[in-house]
Amino acid sequence: MFFRMLRGALFRQKGKMLMIAFTILLGASLATAMLNVMLDVGDKVNQELKTYGANITVKPKESSIMQDLYGISDDGDIQNVHLLESELGNIKTIFWAFNIVDYTPFIDTKVTVGSDTEAKLVGTWFNHHLELPTGETLDTGIANLRTWWDISDGEWIDEQKGNSADTAMVGKALAEKENIKVGDTINVSSTYGTQALRVAAIFDAGGDEDDYIYTSLAPAQKLANGEGFLSSIEVSALTTPDNELARKAAKNPAALSVSQYETWYCTAYVSSICYQIQEVITDSVASPVRQVAESEGAIMDKTQLLMILITIFSLIGSALGISNLVTASVMERSNEIGLMKAIGAKDGSVLGVVLTEIMITAIVGGVAGYFVGYGFAQVIGQSVFGSAIEMKVIVIPIVAILILAVTLAGSLPAIKMLLRLRPAEVLHGR
Amino acid sequence: MKKQNMFFRMITASLLRRRSRMLVALLAIMVGATILSGLVTIYYDVPRQMGEQFRNYGANMIFLPAGDNDGISSSDSDRALADIDKNNIVGVAPYRYETVLINERPVIAAATDFSGAKATSPYWYVTGAWPSESGQVLVGEDIAELYGVAQGDEMTVSFVPANTSEVSAEKNADENTKENEKSMKFTVTGILDTGGSDENYIFISLQDMQALTGESAAYDMVELSISATQDKLESYADKIGKDVSAVSPRLVKRVTQSETTVLSKLQSLVLIVTVVVLLLTMICVATTMTAVVTERRKEIGLRKALGASNKSITGEFMGEGMMLGGIGGILGSVLGYFFAELVSMNVFNSSITFQPLLIPVTLVVSVAVTAAACLLPVRSATDVDPALVLKGE
Repeated sequence: MFFRMLRGALFRQKGKMLMIAFTILLGASLATAMLNVMLDVGDKVNQELKTYGANITVKPKESSIMQDLYGISDDGDIQNVHLLESELGNIKTIFWAFNIVDYTPFIDTKVTVGSDTEAKLVGTWFNHHLELPTGETLDTGIANLRTWWDISDGEWIDEQKGNSADTAMVGKALAEKENIKVGDTINVSSTYGTQALRVAAIFDAGGDEDDYIYTSLAPAQKLANGEGFLSSIEVSALTTPDNELARKAAKNPAALSVSQYETWYCTAYVSSICYQIQEVITDSVASPVRQVAESEGAIMDKTQLLMILITIFSLIGSALGISNLVTASVMERSNEIGLMKAIGAKDGSVLGVVLTEIMITAIVGGVAGYFVGYGFAQVIGQSVFGSAIEMKVIVIPIVAILILAVTLAGSLPAIKMLLRLRPAEVLHGR
Repeated sequence: MKKQNMFFRMITASLLRRRSRMLVALLAIMVGATILSGLVTIYYDVPRQMGEQFRNYGANMIFLPAGDNDGISSSDSDRALADIDKNNIVGVAPYRYETVLINERPVIAAATDFSGAKATSPYWYVTGAWPSESGQVLVGEDIAELYGVAQGDEMTVSFVPANTSEVSAEKNADENTKENEKSMKFTVTGILDTGGSDENYIFISLQDMQALTGESAAYDMVELSISATQDKLESYADKIGKDVSAVSPRLVKRVTQSETTVLSKLQSLVLIVTVVVLLLTMICVATTMTAVVTERRKEIGLRKALGASNKSITGEFMGEGMMLGGIGGILGSVLGYFFAELVSMNVFNSSITFQPLLIPVTLVVSVAVTAAACLLPVRSATDVDPALVLKGE
């Protein structure tokens, strides 16, 4: 009997039930889309912020002071103070390896260009292809870490094309001073030798780098007399904004208690990633580039908070809309409820029939809404960030609980109120 | 005239008599209108507010001496600054660099205006305090480590006039330079951590630098943090380049270019979210209205049976709907403003700009949506034979 009544109600009032299901579908899809976007926006914005370049620099211990105090070292101290090229792969083996998006080695040395102009020559990766021991591959280099460079003439050096050997990119200021053009071959020399480099591009970096020459690692190492040596590594990592714990740890990890240390070590704070890099690169000091690291934290916090508030607000909005409609549709059925009571139905069974009806509608609407919401989330992800939004499993129970709670909250008071009415009055029409 | 009076009386009476049902509809419209006005206000204000957050990246324009000039005089710098809209300037920090000696070793000393440096480099992390008066120095972390100084320590800084060589002065300091050497004692107020080359400098105030060197030389560089788009910055740079020949303004590409990329992404994120939320809310409002009107099929049938024309019934229902839409729209735009203000205070700690144009827009949209939502069910009810409607299907 219960099921016959249920079926009857669901199919006879097809239009009305469809409308409720549709509204619930809208609400559920809104909740799904917003929650998913909100949960993923941190990662996405973090990726976007990578255009600001590296947020960690790795230098040999003791090097920074000596190098910077005496200007560019031309005494060949790369022999004494250096990082090892052979250890580069280690960076992708740390605990937070997955968060390391890009990293690039640098070796700089002072050279003479042409007759007697002194310039800084930097050996680096442009778009180096890495085969990691873990089986992953990674394309990394300054093409990713210097996105703001404007190539005024020529093209980025493409290491994968295989014609990158002995090519160079020259800063705009230096090119103007020396009248260097794309396609020219320049002779650079240091105390350790001479190298002919073909100019592939002239770039405008809007900074000191406009006076530098960039080439691959090998020729630069030869000119610096430091085969297999590096002077610094820049790392671009996805990080979690700093908090009190991270600040405390950054000063001295030894001051933490064991559990604090574990929390810190296993969270992607910039300081813990620095610490882990130092563990795998011999005699290195990894320090956060505060300009990038701090600002990233601030911007990510703000964006996330903004999205959370918008999400909460639209959830409240759709909750109100759904419970509104459910209340309206229950109220409408005062006649039917009156009739049921008049022929002897108990309050409990009336409640049961009406609630089950609405719950079935809600579940149908909610499930359909989840998939529509999935679509909306992907539309947002693709059109804004050009990549898919990761669907979090946690969203499913949240949306389910939300929809059930909202339909219950919308229907229960209305049914209770109708049950309190006298059947005769209701049937008579108030 | 009489007919109009009757029309309004019928509408208001029907709204008041069916109070609870109408409240439901009004609530739905109001929620919709609140979301509309709130989200659009936020959308318009986000670029400005987020732009301010991006100033955390520090200076986005620098002034360098043009041509062969050695420095920028403070009057030239002021003239150049006059070309930039005052309200957009977040901070200005002039810098003057000199090589000084600490324990007979050369160190680069930067003289600046500390309040300006705080604004242009918000990412500087100072352990201790910023210098606030004369005779105080902020020491870069590397230098602090090298000399083993801590907060509160004193250090003697000496300066050798420029005609003696700077870098090599360290070891071959002859008698002559010893005589010219001037020294001052500074108290270390804080240690500076930036993660960049600034950690190898010491920072003192411009006045102290003048006292130490005995000459008021020009600035070597002026850092500016301006809240403006890249295009705007370029136009400022062009203008300054023309107006003040002694100054060569340069954009810090790394900051300006990246800011443009990221900011436009964020803006389109908020835009798309706004559009999706609005779309869904509007449909929600429409279904609620449709439900409320469909419920009254019997009433429509009765009126038709009594001889009302389709047109007058439609008109009356539309009038009712539009009235609800209007009231809901007004309440919604007020609530929406408060909502936007709440979000802005929570996220950015600053007030939101009021968009007066949004009130009429919200009104028009909510009236249009409710009217359209009423129209469909009324149409279908009036099309049917009244006898059938009254009988129930």
